Amino acid sequence: MESLSHILNGFAVSLQPINLWYTFLGCFLGTVIGVLPGIGPSATMALLIPVTYGMNPTSALIMLCGIYYGARYGGSTTAILINAPGEASSVMTTLDGYQMAKKGRGGAALAIAAIASFIAGTIGVVGLTVFALPLTALALKFGPAEYFTLMLFAMTAVSTLAGRSPAKAMISTILGLMIATVGIDLQSGQPRFTFGVPELQDGVGFVLAVVGLFAVSEVLTSMEEMTKGIRPEIIKLQGSVWLTREEFRRSVKPILRGSVVGFVIGVLPGAGGTIASIMSYVWEKRVSKHPEQFGHGAPEGVAGPEAANNSDTAGAMVPLLSLGIPGGGATAVLLGAFIMYGIQPGPLLFQKNPDVVWGLINSMYIGNIMLLILNIPLIGLFVRLLYVPGGILMPLILAIATIGLYAINGNVLELFLGLGFGVIGYVFRKLDIPLAPMVLSLVLGGIMEQSFRQAMTISDGNPSIFVGSTICITLVALSVVSIAAPILLARIKAMRESQKADEGAA
Amino acid sequence: MLADRVILACTVILTLVYMYATTQIPVLEIGDPLGPKAFPWLLGIAMLVACGFLGAEIWRARQKDDDTLAGEEPQFDRKVVPVLLAIVIWSGCYFLAFEKLGYIVATVIYLLPMMAWFNRGKWIANIASALLFASLTYFLFVELEVRLPQGILPF
Repeated sequence: MESLSHILNGFAVSLQPINLWYTFLGCFLGTVIGVLPGIGPSATMALLIPVTYGMNPTSALIMLCGIYYGARYGGSTTAILINAPGEASSVMTTLDGYQMAKKGRGGAALAIAAIASFIAGTIGVVGLTVFALPLTALALKFGPAEYFTLMLFAMTAVSTLAGRSPAKAMISTILGLMIATVGIDLQSGQPRFTFGVPELQDGVGFVLAVVGLFAVSEVLTSMEEMTKGIRPEIIKLQGSVWLTREEFRRSVKPILRGSVVGFVIGVLPGAGGTIASIMSYVWEKRVSKHPEQFGHGAPEGVAGPEAANNSDTAGAMVPLLSLGIPGGGATAVLLGAFIMYGIQPGPLLFQKNPDVVWGLINSMYIGNIMLLILNIPLIGLFVRLLYVPGGILMPLILAIATIGLYAINGNVLELFLGLGFGVIGYVFRKLDIPLAPMVLSLVLGGIMEQSFRQAMTISDGNPSIFVGSTICITLVALSVVSIAAPILLARIKAMRESQKADEGAA
Repeated sequence: MLADRVILACTVILTLVYMYATTQIPVLEIGDPLGPKAFPWLLGIAMLVACGFLGAEIWRARQKDDDTLAGEEPQFDRKVVPVLLAIVIWSGCYFLAFEKLGYIVATVIYLLPMMAWFNRGKWIANIASALLFASLTYFLFVELEVRLPQGILPF
């Protein structure tokens, strides 16, 4: 009963006019960001964190969260009209969405994407409402050792699933943890790796690292493309922005299946919207009576992946809110924002700040309705954003990044640090080193070290505490599996290939 | 392949520097029994293990003579590098002038050459965008209680 009253109270919070406005603003900005090439939701959220300093935490988190799921809606527009996903998770939508647009059904493809996003987003939030609370009951049994092993699992899962090289992802993860050790040690008060620079005593600011790694590096990458003269061809939106009865009929089941796939994948750390949409696409092609139509403009190829990548956002909120563990870059930024407002996500969040957490969750129901209303009638307006010259947009994003960095402490040194992280991010992108694991470990690094040291203090220096409970053993085993599985699978694949080659030669 | 070897070498050097810096952390007889060095040591060792994994990846790719395993060789275009370098240096100059000239003046001066380069020939659009953006964001952020430097302007 108490939970129900918290949920109802959450609706009262999310329906307050100020929070409705911030839900709208977040969804609107998210859609715009999703449509615009060159900047993603993680970067936008990081850029806007300093702007929200003066706001109350609930409103700020509602807005940042709106940007997160709003960007998933917007990402489909570029996927369908210019064959380039606004977000990585929309990559599967390009396959059939762009083909539909070429056949003059671009409006229908956008409508399918919007409807799929709405239904899946709502199903995802229902899942979040249902599953977050039971998980917090489990999380209350967690001590420092359990938390350490949980964070270890989240990091290994993200490392092994990000990018093509697990080793590079591991390097990115550990580098993030190393950066997190810079500053005054909280337990002994000793400065570490500050090299006598007083500004580093508080550690490397999370916001400046994220703004640099995501926003500045994305701008540099876009500027590189502009210098090379890469210009995407935009297909003009033709006909009505609605779908036929046949297209609707073919989309319903893929939307429902995609919603379930997306939510389940979203709950798992590391997997994310891209894997969810790929799995949904493969599933739809497998169950379809006309698999040959996939890749040539099949509505199922838009509906399933779009549903999956939208319900994934709600799924990813489950471990973030109930365990305090983000599963990827964008949720890591959200965790950073929570911590900055003095709110620690995790099992106690539902007891200590029910108004914040339920206000946030319930704002997602409202946000999904707003996004549907925004995306169908106003799609023509959003499409016009594709025509904004990159030559104007990219310098403006750099200037906004500067405001965001300066707003943190009013310190010019932090502007240079942010630029430095931007250059590192750009080089990492070129070298195929994933950035999400680094951001995740940068956010979790401090908490992870504290959990490690607290556990070791409890056990009087005996490391067996990390395999001292069923939860710990399970999490350590999962961590080992997540590191070993890709290596073993690659080995098996290579062995099969060489076996086939030998058979062919014989 | 060459890029991967450079990553490996740089990471090993960075890790050794990090481990050396760890030895320099002063330890007091207060706080937890592990002290401030233990976790950085663990990270250093973990990083060396990750370097070992990367070395194995490079070795396997070499055995197969397959560049795609470790990813395509990154292309640092000769035409692109000077432009990006100029943007980074120009941004550094912007930061240096940020407090002295103030947000509005410094931002307009910062934006105009970049827009002129990337959006060539559209002078009116570029000037209007730079001026409008700098002044509108200044007043918007001041309204949001985000402190931006006033500089040489009286407001």
